[in-house]
Parts: sequence; structure tokens; C-alpha cells
Amino acid sequence: MERKAFMFNMVLSELEDAVGVENVSIREADKIIYGVDYFWVSRMWADKGCRPPEADYIVCPGSAEEVSKVLKIANYYKIPVQTWGGGSGSQGSALPMAGGILLDTKRMNRLIEIDERSMTITAETGMVFQTLEWYANQKNYSIMHIPSCLTCGTVGGALAHRGIGILSTKYGKIDDMTVSMEVCLPNGDIIHTLPVPKHAAGPDLNQIFIGSEGTLGVITKATFKLCHLPETRIHRAFLFQSFHDGLEAGREIVQHIKPSIMRLFDEEETISIIKDVLGFEKKGSFLNVTLEGDKRITEIEMEITKEICARHSGQDLGSEYGEKWYENRITFFYPGHIMNNPQMFGTMDTVAVFDNIEKIYWAMKHAVEDNFPNVRFIAHCSHWYEWGTMIYDRFIMDKPPENPEEAIRLHNQIWNAGVRAAMANGGVINDHHGIGLKLSRLMKEQYGPAMQVLEGIKKTLDPNGIMNPYKLGL
Amino acid sequence: MFTKRAKETADACRFCWMCRHICPVGLVTGREGNTPRAKGLLVSMDVRGFPLEEDGMELMYQCSLCGACASDCVTGYDPRLYIREGRAQATASGLLPSPVRAAVDRALAGEPTAVDRTLKEAIETLPETAEVLVYLGGDARKEGKSALALFKVLKAAGISFTVLKDEPDSGARLGDLIGYVEEVRQAAKLCLDAIKAAGPSTVVVLDPFCLSFFRHQCAEWELLPETAMVTATAFCAELVKEGRLKLRALGGTATFHDPCHLARDLGETDCARELLGAMGIEIKEMFLTGNMSKCCGGPVLRETYPEITAKMALARWDDAARAGAETMITACPGCARILGENTPEGYCQEDIYQLLAEASEQ
Repeated sequence: MERKAFMFNMVLSELEDAVGVENVSIREADKIIYGVDYFWVSRMWADKGCRPPEADYIVCPGSAEEVSKVLKIANYYKIPVQTWGGGSGSQGSALPMAGGILLDTKRMNRLIEIDERSMTITAETGMVFQTLEWYANQKNYSIMHIPSCLTCGTVGGALAHRGIGILSTKYGKIDDMTVSMEVCLPNGDIIHTLPVPKHAAGPDLNQIFIGSEGTLGVITKATFKLCHLPETRIHRAFLFQSFHDGLEAGREIVQHIKPSIMRLFDEEETISIIKDVLGFEKKGSFLNVTLEGDKRITEIEMEITKEICARHSGQDLGSEYGEKWYENRITFFYPGHIMNNPQMFGTMDTVAVFDNIEKIYWAMKHAVEDNFPNVRFIAHCSHWYEWGTMIYDRFIMDKPPENPEEAIRLHNQIWNAGVRAAMANGGVINDHHGIGLKLSRLMKEQYGPAMQVLEGIKKTLDPNGIMNPYKLGL
Repeated sequence: MFTKRAKETADACRFCWMCRHICPVGLVTGREGNTPRAKGLLVSMDVRGFPLEEDGMELMYQCSLCGACASDCVTGYDPRLYIREGRAQATASGLLPSPVRAAVDRALAGEPTAVDRTLKEAIETLPETAEVLVYLGGDARKEGKSALALFKVLKAAGISFTVLKDEPDSGARLGDLIGYVEEVRQAAKLCLDAIKAAGPSTVVVLDPFCLSFFRHQCAEWELLPETAMVTATAFCAELVKEGRLKLRALGGTATFHDPCHLARDLGETDCARELLGAMGIEIKEMFLTGNMSKCCGGPVLRETYPEITAKMALARWDDAARAGAETMITACPGCARILGENTPEGYCQEDIYQLLAEASEQ
């Protein structure tokens, strides 16, 4: 709805009244800052000197009650609301594409409780996830959600995108770690999911809001499971002759034991990534396995791991490479190490059952490399389940078109080709980065008639369609 | 205009979120603008057709320049480079935010730092020259107690020392206000020339903020004298090791707040702890300590945005409380002042030099 004449100022006053004058900004500098997140398109757009998408009001509530007030105002005036946590998401879901309100959650950063008897931790969702992890570490616990964006993103960001950490193979995704949540619905009502996640009282409300990317409300508090810090954490690296051999060994390992980390790199990524950071030069498919927990159990698990890898002709590289990878696990993401502009790149992470995963890898690789000259495709598997694995496929183009509009067109064509190849072969649209603006258009293709379930929930909770328009296909 | 190095640094930071968790300002304000990446983005956009205006400059000033981001960066980028250059531009182009303008005007007018009266009298009694010259720094001159306590400690150890009668400002504070521009270089030269002229064999610097500025920026300007310059904590710790300074046990428990400039810029985290150990004080370490220390405010930020400094200091007190400490000790006049002004009820802030003075009394 267009806000004519001084209507803009009338809304501004209401928002300032709701959260405090100092917590609402209409300044140009802030509009630029909130117009660029980690999404490649938004970065490229800014790099080319194009005006970023702009919110009209940047609002920073300090509590669920203040979020509620803001959403009531937004609903009355039918103003779009885009929720921003850390802004470190790669899918563009925090970007204020529809203008209106940008709701930054980071003032909601209080630790609510550590319950040592039940081993749970509760906090507001604007807290940077690393801060929450440090609170747990101070008491010798860990949440065990250790993504590469641990220091960048917020608790709410991890929940909103169904995030995953490097230890997921043992401890699960964020949705496995969540006990309960507080959510502010688009109409301003503050609700709580049930006190525990395991029950027979209908579907689990947690799982409706986790991954909803700000389209169904704002998650304001969350309780997570805590784990004891492991007595030991040991690493081992192996080199297989082919990606196929590594996949078979990986499958057998996770169907017998529970490593915390298992990363298998395809032949191309083994060369391009591992060599840069680890100085590792042999050809093949590199597998890094980490085992942790009780020392006696991990020693047995290590023996089993070695036996399985040997059966698949995996060369035992000892502990050094695995330790090096672990030490450098964050290094990969700093400037100078990570892919960056002017390169065009994207991570098409997908997940599938073991029967399909190799088929998906080749289908995606062909879809990208055969159709788009000068585009490289690399992959690794880093999150494993008893039934399958995630494949972290990436495309890289060193010299994309100079023209930003042409670059966006090509970027989206590559994404369409890669993701459609995954979906056509039994993969899903995304494993752990979310959908956002980047993949929104493909959600209906992914879900088919099942999409009406998500659309029905959206229509009921957000009849005015104000919550994060254009995202998640909703 | 930003320098090539500043532009390259800003371009590296603009799309990198890795140090957000360690930025003490961003953590307490929750504002996206209070992160190194946001400032880097604004600088990068400045040269892409979106010139920095006063609102962007305000964000350049809402930073304590504590260096946590630089210390965290695996690649070695230092956001303070473009933040300081941003401040220089703000000053030169009349884009200073209003809370900063008065501070800059005062600093550029050469307004002398008020010196505590008792301290001034004590300085008058010191010899004209000595082997050891103690450089106090503006905050210590104004506050007085830390300097007076250090004098007692040095006397107890039998050290012959002096202090410049009209000690010039180091230029560190001015550099944080207006960037490392010519006026700052001139101020630093004036100060270091006065130190050289005094002819000491050792310069003991009480305020780590000043020594950090001397060691890094003044060295880059080739102004640094050949005379040894050490922190007061390192000097006192050495006196204890040599047996020249005898300390009695004061006992008790406390936490130690590592001053940012001492821990990160000067790489010194052990000396103060050795001194506390020698006084029989049990240290309950906070979670973010050593070179990971969380800044409690910073003198320039305190002067320009005191409400942010107050929040940062309270966050540090919260860290102390979680460590189970009711007393927080520090070794920097600026930190002592900020933590002291914001001490919650039931807690106590102590200055290491005053404790040393007490422990050295026989």
C-alpha cells in the first residue's frame, strides 16, 4: 500500500512508540547496510554500484512483546515485514525486497536459562549463535550446532533456515536440537510450541516454524538440547581412488557407527580446495572422519572406520590431515580463501537416499558443465544420515558477465539447471541453506500439489501476506 | 579519498561476517551498522557512487577501535584502517556527527588535559632527569591515583625515576578522533621529542593505549626513539622477578580484565597475572580473556557515545559475574575509569597499581 503525503511519518511515529525512537532508523546508511546480505546477487549488485533493495523503516525490537507491537502495526497498514538476524544467509531471505519494515532481531539477545538437570539452554533468538555456544561452553556443555556461520548468524537465523553444523552426522540438524520455541505470529499473538518436542498431540509445531524463513511469523525464543563436551575428538583422513569408492565407504560407516564429521570431497574439489589450505597434492577422493565422545567408544569406532575404509581400498593418511582440516575449518570462509566477487558461484546443496546420490551428482555436474561454458562444478558430502547423504555441489565461474542484469539472468539459469537436475533424480531443492529469494520460484516444482499444505498455513497465519514477500515460494 | 590499502581492506570486509561475534559494540547495540562488515560495505559503496554522509560517519565513530575484529581475522585484515580514514574524511569534509564535533574541536584546539592536583604536586618533587622516565598519558594524568600508586611502587623498589613536567599528549587519542593525519603525527613527534630530550635509558608507559600508538603508528612514521619502551606492568613484573620489588599477600579473589591495547596490540597478557599472583590474589578468569578480551568501552567512545560505552562496560561486568568474581582488576587508566563509572551494586573495580602500592607497603 502506498503511503502518501505524511502517512509515512504517521507510521514512523507508531513504530518509534512501539520500540523506542532510538530503535527505528530511516537513515540512508542503514538502508544500504540492510540491503546487502550474503546472497551472491545482492553482493554482485552492490559491487557494481547498483542501489541495493531498501527498507523504508529499520526497526529493532528488544522483546517478543515489541515484535508483537510491530507486527500489529504492520498488519493494520499492510506493510511488508522482512526479518533480519545476522544477514549472513546465502539465499537472500533477509533482504527487504518489498520495502516496508526490516525487523532486526539482534537486540533480543538475552540468555534466559541453562537447565543443567534437563540439559537444555534457552535464549532469545537475536543472539549470535557463537555467543549462545560460549554460554554453553562456560558450563562445559555444547549445543553441537557448529556451522561455518557460527560467528556470523543468529539463533533465529539458524532456525529460520533449518541450518546445519559440521557435527551434524552425530548430533543432527538444528531441527533435531530444538526442544521448544516462542513465536510471534503475523497478527501479533505470541505463542509457544509444546514444552517438549516428542509427543502425540498432533504435528510438531516446532517443525512448522523451523525453516519458515520469516514467512509465518518471528521466532523470538528457543530452547535447545545441551550435550556434554566430548572427552575426546579424534580425526582420521583417507584417500579413495574415486568419489564412488568414498561414497560406498561413507555409507557403510554411517550405517554402523556415528561419526560427528565425515566429509568426502570429489576428485575436483580434492585438488582445488584441499590443496589450497592443507597443501595436499595427491589425486583421488579425500575423506575426513571425526569421532568423538567417550574415549573408549571412539577408539572402537575408529577401528571400525579403518576396517571399512580398507575394504573400499581407502588409503589411510593418518590423523594429521584430519587434524589440519579441523584446525582450518573456519579458514576456508575468510576473505582470500573463500570464493568472492567478481567470481560467480553458488552452493546447490541437496540431499537424497544413497541409491540416488551418485546419480544426482553426475546429473548436476552435466547440467552445469555441459550447458554453461567456463563454469566449474565441485562437490563434497558433509552431512550423512543412515539413509543417505547431503551433497554440497558448487559451481564457479571466474569471469561472469560484466553487466549486472545479464549476470543475474545467467546466475538464475545455472541454478535452475542444477537444482532441476537434482530434483529430477530424487534430490531436494536444498539441504541446509534454505530457499529465500534465490530458489523461491522452484518451490512449487519441488512440492507439486503438496505445496497447498504450506500455502494453506501461510494464508491462515498471514492473510495479508505481509511476512517476507517473494520468499520461500509463499 | 580512501587510500588503496583502506579500499582493499573494506572490499575484503564488506561481504565477510566472520568477526561479528567478537565486536563488542555490535553485541551490545544489536545494530547491523555496528559491525566491521557494515562499515566496510559503506566505505566500498563510497567509491561506487554512494558517498558517505553524516549518518555513515556516525557509524565510523561508533567503534572503540579495540582491534578484536583484526585479531580474529585469519587473513589479517584490519578494519581499523578504513574506520580511521573514515574519521579523517569526516573531519576534513565537515561531516562529523554532532556528539563527535565538540570532542574534535576540543582536541584540535590543543586544550591541555587537566592534571590531578596531588599528582601535579608529586611530579614537582621528582628529579629533573633519571634513568627511568614514566610516561603517564592523558587519562592517568587526569585521574591521578594510578600514577601516584605507580610512583609508590617504583620508590619501594628503589627505582630512580621522573616524569615530564609538562607531559605532552601522545597523540593516541587525537589519532582515534581524526585518524592518523598530519596533525596527529606532529603531536606524536612533539611528545616523542620531549621524551628523547629527557634522555632516559628506559621509558615506562603507564597507559597501554599510548604505548600501542607509539609502537605501531609512530614506528610506521619513524618517530620512535631507540630508548626501550615498556609497559608499567611488564616493568613491575620484572622488578618482582629480580627481587627488587617485594610484595606481601593481599589475598582474595578477582577477575582480570585484559585491556585491549595491552593484550592485543602489545601482546602482553601474562605480566599483570604474575603480579596478581605475587600478591596472592586468586584469578577467576572470564570466558573472553587474553587476546580475546572484550572491550569495556574505550576513551574516545566514552567521550562521544557514552551510552554505548556504559552498555559495553555492563556487558563486561556481566562476564565477571558469570566467572563468579565480584572484583574486577585492570591495568589501564581508561578501562579503570569506564569500569569504575559503571560498576554494578555489589561489585568492585580495582586498579592494579593501587593494589601494588598497597602490597609493597612494608
